[in-house]
Amino acid sequence: MRNEDEILALEMLIQLNSKQSKLKDQLQEYFAGLISPELKAELSNPKYFEGGGPEFKQAMRTMGADGWIGLSWKKELGGKELSPMEQYIFVETVMRTGFPFPFLTTESVGPMIAEYGSDWAKDEIATKILQGELIFGIGYSEPNSGTDLASLQTKAIKENDGYLINGQKMWTSLANFSDYIWLAARTDFEVKNHKGISMFIVPTTNPGFSLSAINTLGDVRTNATFYEDIKVPDSHLVGNLNEGWSLITSQLNLERLALVNHGPVEELYKNVLALAQKTKINNDQFLIDLSWVKQNFAEIHSGIEALKLICWKQTWIMESGQLNMAEASVAKVYGSEFFIEAYRLLMEIMGELSLLKNDSELNVLNARLERMYRTASILTFGGGTNEVQRDIIAMAGLFMPRTR
Amino acid sequence: MDFSELDYQAKVRDSLNKILTDKCSQDELKNFDDGFKHDDALLSLLAENGYLGLGINEKFGGSGEDLYDLGILFERLGYFAAPLSLTGCLVDVAQTIQKFSEAEKHRSILKSIVKGEIYTSAILEPNNQDPENPITKAKFNGDKILINGVKYLSEIASVAKSILVSVSSDEGVLLVLIDKDKVKLTPLASTANSPIFKVEINDVTLDQSSIIHEKGRGLEALRYLLQINMVMRSYIALGVAEKMTALIASYTSEREQFGRVIGTFQAVSHRAADCFIELECLRLVNQQASVNLNTNHDCENDALISKIWAGNACHKISYSAQHLHGGTGVDKDYVLWRYCLLAKECELINGSASQNIDRLGTNISSNQ
Repeated sequence: MRNEDEILALEMLIQLNSKQSKLKDQLQEYFAGLISPELKAELSNPKYFEGGGPEFKQAMRTMGADGWIGLSWKKELGGKELSPMEQYIFVETVMRTGFPFPFLTTESVGPMIAEYGSDWAKDEIATKILQGELIFGIGYSEPNSGTDLASLQTKAIKENDGYLINGQKMWTSLANFSDYIWLAARTDFEVKNHKGISMFIVPTTNPGFSLSAINTLGDVRTNATFYEDIKVPDSHLVGNLNEGWSLITSQLNLERLALVNHGPVEELYKNVLALAQKTKINNDQFLIDLSWVKQNFAEIHSGIEALKLICWKQTWIMESGQLNMAEASVAKVYGSEFFIEAYRLLMEIMGELSLLKNDSELNVLNARLERMYRTASILTFGGGTNEVQRDIIAMAGLFMPRTR
Repeated sequence: MDFSELDYQAKVRDSLNKILTDKCSQDELKNFDDGFKHDDALLSLLAENGYLGLGINEKFGGSGEDLYDLGILFERLGYFAAPLSLTGCLVDVAQTIQKFSEAEKHRSILKSIVKGEIYTSAILEPNNQDPENPITKAKFNGDKILINGVKYLSEIASVAKSILVSVSSDEGVLLVLIDKDKVKLTPLASTANSPIFKVEINDVTLDQSSIIHEKGRGLEALRYLLQINMVMRSYIALGVAEKMTALIASYTSEREQFGRVIGTFQAVSHRAADCFIELECLRLVNQQASVNLNTNHDCENDALISKIWAGNACHKISYSAQHLHGGTGVDKDYVLWRYCLLAKECELINGSASQNIDRLGTNISSNQ
């Protein structure tokens, strides 16, 4: 039998509580004001898809001034110290707007620099990140180190009062307009792979820094970046020497969860549904009246519900300071593979119209479907490839032996 | 947001595990592989320990009106492949009466059910894909009603006291309780050997007091019945799928080929991981549906989504389990086969995945 407290206990609540709903409303209102027609126009220009334009920069400064950067940062570091659930709601709301908010700079690199950086890094860099003045590119992957990141070969050699950096990075997104690179480099060649890595702040203004564009299928620009005899002072090392691996992995779960946030796909689903309800076809009916169209919507809806619940539950677990490895990987695999399927089903509904690009006549929903399907594949291998995630699920969720 | 279980709920799960581990061993289950699959002794044991009162209000001897509690019971019955078919009794009859009956005559049935007395329902009809519109008819005749029709898939009807039946009438849908002795029962042999019956109702005359709900609320009550039935069947499916996934993990962690444990092959471990993902999704949509139905008794989309995931998970995990076990999986001396048969039953009864996708799509198209 239930004890007295349990009879009186509030039941499980599988929805946002009133405080969380209020935050969501507040954020929606804020972004509606922030995203001006000029910013919208800039973001629909392929050159500025990932941000970096003047309107984008202005919006970042505004967000900084309004206190909407540094959500995950501890209060003593100048942040808002929002809970994981509140952060999830923030990510959800921003992503629904399509604004390319630089989460990795503000919510991953920023708090690490604020906590583990040198005095210079804390005063100069962390403060400016909070003000929306700085953007970082992430220098992890290399031509021969992708999924096996710990095998990276870019090196930083101790030299007097600093380090000499040489190497090459791949997929350094945002590097073309970022101020610094958050760079993982090998500082000890004698120890096991992940034990000899350190983290550095590398200015993109250094003459030894160069890059070449990598243009991708999804028209998302990324870069190969090159580091030739770049000398940085000791103050540019973040955290202890040779302990960079723990900084790289410390926020992986939050980052993975942000990748599969259910907001954007649900937004697109709602938009396509509204369109199908008012699109007349065959003179006498609406698109939504077709039985297979309804079925596609039902498939997507039932998939989104599962994704939302996985993400909410994972976030709720993080609220209590715990972590469930298997379920974090479930979110990553399920979410990334579901997106691909959902975009396909949505494109089927709009048919050939969904092939038309943004600058074409007759395009639907600003050709968002046409863009989204082209970027979907990135998530099944990026952010920890799904094969590795499945290995983790088998081991941590089903207690099966390690695969070879 | 709060996904946490009460201590009480964790304890219920634990003690059910203890009872069922003992009473649903392989040797015990073998006794029910042929013949009437209904373990009366186990039913009495569950009643004695208060488990038939899960989801039922304290004033009837239950542990409180929380459908999540009831979900735990069905999940565990599924996990142990228990020889008990109780959705008709504990879900259709008990929950619908609890929510929709005002008459003491009907509400007192709840007390009997908690003590182990058997009631059941007969809702589904052969060749009727729309259970909200029963083909079975009732005619009003003075203060009596006359009922004619054929129902099927009625669980353990031969040992039930009376049967809750859905009928169409001039006053819309009605739910009526019919004494078992007034109908003709024929056992149906089905894939998982579940004790299900065809129910023929020929010119049965009843008092109007056999209608369990207030006038005009029949359709509402039937919709509620169908929704909780879907969700609780999805909980059985969850238990079945969880057991099959556990069997995959343990078998492939021991079986050796080519000099190594086959679970170390990525092709094997990844198929197991996919089962785990499917299982977690089912667990969460069930939790959402049962919690939402606690506060709002019309959550059709949540119920449909549960049953869609249940249907798909049962199908995918069953065939993955059979495949990864090789011949062992289909050998009746091993345990898996019973779960595969149950999985198919969970998948199809009261709405297959495709049927429910169609229904959900219709709801979505009209913004319901």
